[in-house]
Amino acid sequence: MITYIPKAIIMMAATCMTGTAYAATPLQLSSDVYVERAETSADGATKLILEKPTTVLPGDNLVFVVKYTNASNEPASNLMVTNPLPKPVQFNGTADGNEQVSVDGGKTWGSLNTLLVQEADGTSRSAQMSDVTHIRWELSQTLAAGSSGKLIFRGIVR
Amino acid sequence: MQKLSAALLFGSACTALSVAQAQAAGTVAGTDISNTAEASFQVPGGSTVTIPSNTVVITVDELLDVTVTSSDPGDISTSPGATDQVLTFQITNTGNGQEAFRLTADTAVGGDDFDPTLQQIVIDSDGNGLYDPGIDTVYVAGSNDPDLAPDESISIFVITTIPADRVDTDRAEVSLLAEANTGTGAPGTSFDGLGQGGGDAVVGTTGADDDDSGFLAVQQALVTLVKSATVLDPFGGDQAVPGSTITYNLVATISGSGVLNNVIISDPIPTSTVYIPASITLETAALTDATDADAGEFDGTNINVSLGNVPAGETRTVTFEVTIE
Repeated sequence: MITYIPKAIIMMAATCMTGTAYAATPLQLSSDVYVERAETSADGATKLILEKPTTVLPGDNLVFVVKYTNASNEPASNLMVTNPLPKPVQFNGTADGNEQVSVDGGKTWGSLNTLLVQEADGTSRSAQMSDVTHIRWELSQTLAAGSSGKLIFRGIVR
Repeated sequence: MQKLSAALLFGSACTALSVAQAQAAGTVAGTDISNTAEASFQVPGGSTVTIPSNTVVITVDELLDVTVTSSDPGDISTSPGATDQVLTFQITNTGNGQEAFRLTADTAVGGDDFDPTLQQIVIDSDGNGLYDPGIDTVYVAGSNDPDLAPDESISIFVITTIPADRVDTDRAEVSLLAEANTGTGAPGTSFDGLGQGGGDAVVGTTGADDDDSGFLAVQQALVTLVKSATVLDPFGGDQAVPGSTITYNLVATISGSGVLNNVIISDPIPTSTVYIPASITLETAALTDATDADAGEFDGTNINVSLGNVPAGETRTVTFEVTIE
């Protein structure tokens, strides 16, 4: 369905080589944000492309890509990547579906369908995408020296 | 489970607890979307290291959107020659930035029966939704264009005069147009650098302009009066001879539409007849002759019956009796 995602990943692979490097640590973590734009070609066909925006509009679809690389000579284990969601962005799912989310600012975590939101009147309801405040991934596999990976999630500008 | 505690520390330290409030208009123009990921991991030897990623900052541009809706529940009833006729509209900034809107009223919309004369456009400056002459501010295009925050609404009054030659059921359409001062156009049109917060201003789905119409309907009620007489002579016949009683029957019929206000039926007592005291009736109910709380009176010359405000389509029947001298 989301045919452009592979393109994004290709773009990413090229981009993150220039991403900010943290030489002091053995792990490098980079974040990139893309926006979907509809582009109409000369023959009138519309296709979605991803571009790195400097500005966006409410309703725009964003793709967040977090890339991690073990730049050291030793394995890293128990890797956990957390992305607090910027307030103007509504969560719209991840590419792999292996994430945990929080709807209370990172206090409690779980898959979205297990979480409840406390209403002002004391009742609670099932959490929605719009309630998500944080996203995180716990990677069970040890990250070998020199290896890397990426995590992708989508958001909508509120 | 060292990593778990580290993660919890992240969560509570990095983000305010409340979920961002989504406005109808969306994130306010000029807001920065700032994203930073964090990672924690264990290195051989067991110590946990946490690192942040780079931070990506994107600015939210201004979306130009507006809606105009008529606030009137239906046609506003009016009458020929009436002045200061008020149509009420609500303008809402449905964009995400502070924006001023230029207003234009059109009284010459086609397809209706007549064109009222525009007196002025008035801004509901005291915010009570009601036209307050002398209190609310007269709109001057380009001078006091309503400047609205995202999601803010304001009432606008379009004040018109009805031509004197209009008749019952004539209807006029009056439209009010609001246009974003920054610019209008096809959705997606961008005005570079003109957005709130220094970004671009981009025309939204409304085209950054909108209009709606209110309607004025002339309601003109007319009264017709039909008088008839019944004679009863002293001998049980119907001859008009001295001593005969004449019962006059006055039927007022209100036609057209609307309400006719303060209708009074007045009829002089004919010469050579004498009014029979306390003989006035309205809708078969007896009325007194005195000038008092009830609707009827006899002033020595005329009978007068006050019908008050009578809706079109209704009738009122008044009777009184005289004796032939």
